[in-house]
Amino acid sequence: MSTDRIKAILLSEFFITKRSLEVIMDLFFFSLMATIVFGFVSVFLASSIDSTAAHYLFLGIILMEVIRVTQYSISVSALWEVWSRNLSNVFITPLSLKEYLFALFLSGAAKSLLTFTAISLISTLIFKFNIFSACFHNLALYFVNLTIFSWSIGLFILGFIFRFGTRIQALAWGLIFLVQPLTAAFFPVNILPSPLQVIAYSLPPTYIFEAARGNLENPSVNWNLIGMAAALNIFYFALALWFFNIMFKKSKQTGQFAKLEG
Amino acid sequence: MLKEPILKVENLVKLFGTFQALDSISFSIPRGKIIGLLGPNGAGKTTTINILLGITLQNSGSIKYFGKNFSENRQFCLQKINFTSSFNTLQSRISVRENLIVFAHLYEVTNPEKKIKELTSYFEIEDLINQKFNDLSAGQKTRVNITKALINDPEIILMDEPTASLDPDIADKTLSLIEDLKKDKKLSILYTSHNMSEVTRICDQVIFLDRGKIVAQDTPLGLTKRIQKSQLRLTFDGNKNKLEKYLNSQKLHFSFAKNNVVVVNTPEKQIPKIIFGIANEGIWITDIEIKKPTLEDFFLQMARGKNVD
Repeated sequence: MSTDRIKAILLSEFFITKRSLEVIMDLFFFSLMATIVFGFVSVFLASSIDSTAAHYLFLGIILMEVIRVTQYSISVSALWEVWSRNLSNVFITPLSLKEYLFALFLSGAAKSLLTFTAISLISTLIFKFNIFSACFHNLALYFVNLTIFSWSIGLFILGFIFRFGTRIQALAWGLIFLVQPLTAAFFPVNILPSPLQVIAYSLPPTYIFEAARGNLENPSVNWNLIGMAAALNIFYFALALWFFNIMFKKSKQTGQFAKLEG
Repeated sequence: MLKEPILKVENLVKLFGTFQALDSISFSIPRGKIIGLLGPNGAGKTTTINILLGITLQNSGSIKYFGKNFSENRQFCLQKINFTSSFNTLQSRISVRENLIVFAHLYEVTNPEKKIKELTSYFEIEDLINQKFNDLSAGQKTRVNITKALINDPEIILMDEPTASLDPDIADKTLSLIEDLKKDKKLSILYTSHNMSEVTRICDQVIFLDRGKIVAQDTPLGLTKRIQKSQLRLTFDGNKNKLEKYLNSQKLHFSFAKNNVVVVNTPEKQIPKIIFGIANEGIWITDIEIKKPTLEDFFLQMARGKNVD
């Protein structure tokens, strides 16, 4: 892999993010507003009903942003090139698929880390909800697992976009809202009906949200839950890479790749 | 010793489902030559270019750049190839400089800033460098696209209708630029266009594609010579019936454009004989116009399925 070419994609991501109000709004402003709105909801719930429910909700919002921002970053980055009719220019350079994906993963993780740190600080300073009390190693394990899951989702969406074109581009920012209830982000898994619990337990973030909620009481690492999340993540990530490769190759065989730009 | 061509294509086949987009085409591009790829819409030009760039996969056939198999040496080959098209643009949200920096890194250019300075100076676009690509005019975008296409010092550039949508003045400047590039940098270029006069002007050879097959390959002059008949347009002062009778006696194909204007389709070498013959009939010729066949005539005849050989 060439560090220069990886740097090129990272630079491109940086330049686009810096110059696009839409990206700044979608990534940072929405995260900020979600934190502020749910911060106040949590304050209200804590004062009038139950502080545990309030903390679950707030914790869910902060961790969901890791998934949303990373996945959005990966899926939409390719769309920016398609919308600008620049995707072919990028892929006729010696850039390999590995380098391209690696750069997207790094860029997504960096944006997500930045957002996660910012909203965590806001939640601590304004709403007195200190996610950092869950200990650094717990936060790192949440972050890594949720990021890898987001890479997988991003790869699936990217694969669909390369294969079927921009007519399904809404998946890039819409699919995540299907993941939200199915991973029991804001409530314990046992609230879900039994069939949905089966689906929930097949998704890595469910275990991370469960572990994070547990850490509100006890900061020690729940290796069972983290281990399950990691194992599922390895499976989904491998599946996503395989799926993306198939879709990318199919896109080149059918000529869809060249047609992506209209 | 024969020089290895920059690009050698052999028996390239592409099927989209049951539709045969390319039917076993073969050609090569020598170093420092501009080869035109012509054909009506749907002939397979864009499919050929997409396959040559690796963004569409062929069903069979081989592509060799610099003597190396493209599919097995993708990164090596792409490092020395570039592409420009009026249909592709650069990243529209970011500045010209930012775009060029990204591509300089993608091609692992040793000193990106120096290279960008050198190219922007050559193309006289230094003043555009900090403008957003989206804010440029069509002509400026074309110049920036060509600058991008040279950032890796390519040995061959594939150009897909680079002058489409440009006004005649900017198109002419772009063609001069391409001519200079060929001369200064010994570049090989594969060039597609629907503008026959520009193909005649800049291409050393022309490959004519129709329904996925190469139906003709020659110099632009060679192709036009395949159309044997020129068009002789005579304005006359005299008896129209007498002229008609004479032309019929010579078994010529003709039509009257006006009462005093006749258009005769004839081989070029017959023209003096026809003019003298008409004069000998006592018909006064007041104007003579000879239209030689052009590449456009060849294109039209081929596209309409008429055999020109």
